[in-house]
Amino acid sequence: MFDNILTILIFFPALAAMLGFVVDKGSIRSYGVSVAAVEFILSLVLWYMYDPNVVGMQFMESVPLIPSFGISYLLGIDAISLFIIILATFFTMIGIASLGETKNIKNMIVTLLFLEMTMVGVFSALDAIVFYVFWELSLVPMLYLIGAWGGPKRIYASIKFFLYTFTGSLIMLVGMLFMAYYYNQATGTWSFSILEWYRLVLPENMQLWLFAAFFMGFAIKVPMFPFHTWLPYAHGQAPTIGSVILAAILLKMGTYAFVRFSLPMFPDASVFFMIPIAVIAIIMIIYTAMVAYAQEDIKQVVAYSSVSHMGVIILGTFALNVEGISGSVFLMIAHGVVSGALFFLVGVIYDRRHTKLMSEFGGLAQVMPRYATIFGIIMMASVGLPLTINFVGEFLSLLGFYKQSHILTLLAGTAIIVGAIYMLTAYKKAFFGEVTKEENKNLPDVNRRELVALIPLVIITVWLGVYPKPVLGPINNSVEAIVSLMHEKAVTQDAKDRIPNPMVAKISTQNGGTH
Amino acid sequence: MEFYLYLALFSPLVGSLIAGLFGASKKTLFTGLITSALIFTSFVSSFMLLLHILGDGEPVHVEMMTWIATGNLYIPFGFIVDQVSVVMMMVVSLVSTVVHVYSIGYMDHDKSFNRFFSYLSAFVFSMMVLVMSDNFLGLFIGWEGVGLCSWLLIGFWYHKESATWAANEAFIMNRIADLAMLIGIFLVYWNTGSLQYHIAFPAFATLDSSTLLMIGIFLFIGAMGKSAQFPLHTWLADAMEGPTPVSALIHAATMVTAGVYLVVRANPLYDLIPDVGYFIASLGAFVAMFAASMALVNRDMKRIIAYSTLSQLGYMFVAAGLGAYWVALFHLMAHAFFKALLFLGAGNVMHAMDDELDPFKMGGLKKSMKWTWIMMTLASVALAGIWPLAGFFSKDLILEAAFVEHHYVLYTILLVTAFMTAFYSFRLVSLIFHGKERHKEYGFHPHEAYKFVLIAMSPLAILAVVAGFLFKGSYIEMVTTLLPATEYHLHSETTFWIMNIGTQLAVGFSIAFAYMKYENAKIDKKVESGFLYKLLINQYYIPYFYEEYLTKPYRELSSVAWKHVDLKVVDATVDMIANIFYETGEKTHVMQDGNLSTMLRWMVAGTALLLVLAVAFTVGYSVLVG
Amino acid sequence: MEITLSHYLVLSTILFAIGLVGVMRRTNLLMLFFATEILLNAVNIGFAAISRYYGDLTGQMFAFFVIAIAASEVAVGLGLLILWFKRSGGIDLTSMTSMKG
Repeated sequence: MFDNILTILIFFPALAAMLGFVVDKGSIRSYGVSVAAVEFILSLVLWYMYDPNVVGMQFMESVPLIPSFGISYLLGIDAISLFIIILATFFTMIGIASLGETKNIKNMIVTLLFLEMTMVGVFSALDAIVFYVFWELSLVPMLYLIGAWGGPKRIYASIKFFLYTFTGSLIMLVGMLFMAYYYNQATGTWSFSILEWYRLVLPENMQLWLFAAFFMGFAIKVPMFPFHTWLPYAHGQAPTIGSVILAAILLKMGTYAFVRFSLPMFPDASVFFMIPIAVIAIIMIIYTAMVAYAQEDIKQVVAYSSVSHMGVIILGTFALNVEGISGSVFLMIAHGVVSGALFFLVGVIYDRRHTKLMSEFGGLAQVMPRYATIFGIIMMASVGLPLTINFVGEFLSLLGFYKQSHILTLLAGTAIIVGAIYMLTAYKKAFFGEVTKEENKNLPDVNRRELVALIPLVIITVWLGVYPKPVLGPINNSVEAIVSLMHEKAVTQDAKDRIPNPMVAKISTQNGGTH
Repeated sequence: MEFYLYLALFSPLVGSLIAGLFGASKKTLFTGLITSALIFTSFVSSFMLLLHILGDGEPVHVEMMTWIATGNLYIPFGFIVDQVSVVMMMVVSLVSTVVHVYSIGYMDHDKSFNRFFSYLSAFVFSMMVLVMSDNFLGLFIGWEGVGLCSWLLIGFWYHKESATWAANEAFIMNRIADLAMLIGIFLVYWNTGSLQYHIAFPAFATLDSSTLLMIGIFLFIGAMGKSAQFPLHTWLADAMEGPTPVSALIHAATMVTAGVYLVVRANPLYDLIPDVGYFIASLGAFVAMFAASMALVNRDMKRIIAYSTLSQLGYMFVAAGLGAYWVALFHLMAHAFFKALLFLGAGNVMHAMDDELDPFKMGGLKKSMKWTWIMMTLASVALAGIWPLAGFFSKDLILEAAFVEHHYVLYTILLVTAFMTAFYSFRLVSLIFHGKERHKEYGFHPHEAYKFVLIAMSPLAILAVVAGFLFKGSYIEMVTTLLPATEYHLHSETTFWIMNIGTQLAVGFSIAFAYMKYENAKIDKKVESGFLYKLLINQYYIPYFYEEYLTKPYRELSSVAWKHVDLKVVDATVDMIANIFYETGEKTHVMQDGNLSTMLRWMVAGTALLLVLAVAFTVGYSVLVG
Repeated sequence: MEITLSHYLVLSTILFAIGLVGVMRRTNLLMLFFATEILLNAVNIGFAAISRYYGDLTGQMFAFFVIAIAASEVAVGLGLLILWFKRSGGIDLTSMTSMKG
């Protein structure tokens, strides 16, 4: 059975979702939780069986779909995808488990399970077409989540979300098709396999164009400035569970794709575009942090803060060295956990008061001490305090990029200042001070259902902050493979210099005897 | 010895977690007792380690586990107890034991009693991590940890707007400095290949001077934030919103000295860049005088002591900057004792006076609060630097170091500051404890603190008296095995005696003057309307400047960024593109009027157009190519 | 005068033009069908003529296809027309605007 574990992981939730239509309404919640739990356990099995010392893809499966064009159902994972898959199954599980009173709960659970299929699919696909199919499919359940359970402006938000990201993906598709065409020209055979594409050395100007095409798709998904404006609407209108999954997993598709496609396929273009992208990342960090500071709605603060942190991930990715990329991949996980948790937390208060305006709160620390404590821990993680999960990622990302540019890192480092400013201000507005509003005086503290989601997230936040090795170690090995591939493939001297060869660096350190 | 190391490090954490479990529940005395006992355990362990270090001088170095390892980066949770860190450990654990016991009395009536002890112990743990870590990032953990605890404790009474504001100010201002510190850490890593002291420090000697300069500057900016040096100093006075034991422990004795500790710890670096060292010393001297001047006029008891702390930190930086690291560390230690004592005494007074802070409303308290009076006077004498109390030995060393190193300007500034120190300290003592009992007009009924509180304070009082002459010899012997052992002796004995006696006399005169002037708490209206007074009472208008020219513009810019840029430009552009399609549809849908004839006509027109285009392109292409 | 390919093509063009004008101008559905037939047959003439010119039977084959399709089109179209007449009592094009956008 474990030969096809990835296929099982992808299609088990989808099958279960279809069966879910016939499940009795009263037991649909427990049905959903058990399906998601089984899926989560399967993903843990995947982790258990994953061998961190093997370089390259594992659990490969290949079934030809359209042999004449080299399209096949090709799956496989390395550590970079492994942990995001686990994150996806984990969030689906706790998301379903902590669902509150929802109309049409059956549809909601079915949608979430379908969404889980597309998420696992995206992160395990190694064929560009299969990747693209799952990438686009993931829009549909999300569209439905926002459109059916969203706030008052849900139609506008969901259509904006769909069309915006869809437009970007189409440009990406053109890039993929051209890449396959070029592959055919160069080798005489058709292939959409990413692994085959890795081996192809492209001339620099070709890389630039292809990089740009892929960039459009990824950048909108991330979302990078100035393509970010769909996100505040989507978050603003989406139900809690939608925001959680969107922030925790769906945004990671963009940054993951940078690591999976852009870097190894176009190393020279990555070096060429490194500085412009870093500048965009810095704008993302500072500008969205300022916008977050100006918000009146606490969910929008979290939404913009999520964009701001994505800037650090992008910066780490384009550090193009092992420290930076490992850091950014780790930060993807961290950001998933922390921003997911923040959206859960916002959902808690929204369920009670049906408003997200900070001016409506104040003094909540007095009324809901446990809630305030959990929010405080997660907020400090978001601010990037050491020994929380975010710090490891942010530190490594910035450390890595420092090698490339001092002054840009200094600017990007202001993330830790501006991040503290908007987060602490928001926390102060909502939790500190006297309880002024009558409605807030008797708010119940977090209940057991909510703790089911929050406690594991807090534990992960601290656990991986103190002991990141189980995750960081495998990621490091996979990233080293990518970086050495990039170093080998680079055609220009500039790129060779910018992208260090991790193997050489290792040997020199060992000879230097530094540790 | 490893066992003691772990015990010293982790018992505060255990205490914090235990107290944290009961954080939200009602006051339970045992949280206070258990945390105090665990901190005391930490103190005893530190003491064992001190004995060990005094014995054979072998530093205890452990690597608990790997923290971050990727690429070439390797950062363990490594801890080292050597001559420098053991001094810090002793200071931290001793003062925090006292403060814990004291707080059992001080926080007696507070409903968040348990939460307080949880935070306080967490702070001690962070501080221990800071001083014991064997690498820069471990130090950074502690660095941020104490920042977090400081945030929690300044804003402990979170229903008060001023408290939460001060907490956020402290955190954010420290964050600015932390960024510089991170950059310093990045520089260390990329230039030496490691963040561990024992690898990085020897490697510094091989680096070129501009890199070292950068590292030195960035690390020092980090230190400036934590130690509240100008221009990042405003948070310290505002931090007095926190409970008084917090001010004693965090904002006087331990956390604020972390910056000094960093410079002392990185002495192999700063030895290589004397220019930066000189800058540090100059800034220190400036801050010493600058802060003392604000203390002269302030009318808030705790703020006066806070400015005094700031001023003394300036002294420490002068010593550290001039390369007299052991002197800086010595003054750090002595200062921790008498400044903590001073704050705790102030806490007693506040309790007696129902949290009144204006010393002009007090007076004559020596009758009802005899022991507090004695202890605060002792602390003030020590602070003023009268022989033979602790302050004399440590502060005079700094003056001598400046003199011997021929930095006469710095020396003069520090000397004048010493007179100012004596003046403001005794202005405070005189206002609080002497003269008429003015508080009666305001209806206060002062009472002495609990006996166990006074007993808890007594170790500090004893140390403030004896720490100087008792410890100096063995301290120097121990610490100079690690730090550069520069002796600061004046060339002629006569100069030494003239200087010392002159200083003592002048300080004594300042004290007497302060007594005379403030015993009756007369407010001199003429002085108060003067420009200088206004300047000082408004803290040189620096907080005003920050509010007007930094905070407000940032707030407004943020608002513009959201309401005008994000919504009106970025998002509007996207919507505009969508609207172009939409509008085109709106405009052209009249073509679809449902009439078959019309549609057929459009179809024919379209075909004709395509035909024309096809012909045009074919012709055009052949013309161009042919 | 010999009749060349051009003649056929001119005839075809003229017929096509007539048909086109008919399609565009007429409002009676029946007349529209006639016009369509003229269009199709114009094309048929073109096919047949060119086929003969090149000696390739494909063109003529297509002409037969067109005839077959034209026949079926009329069959279906007339059926619909009758249905429409029954429903609305007229076969005027201007009355059919339910597809208005």
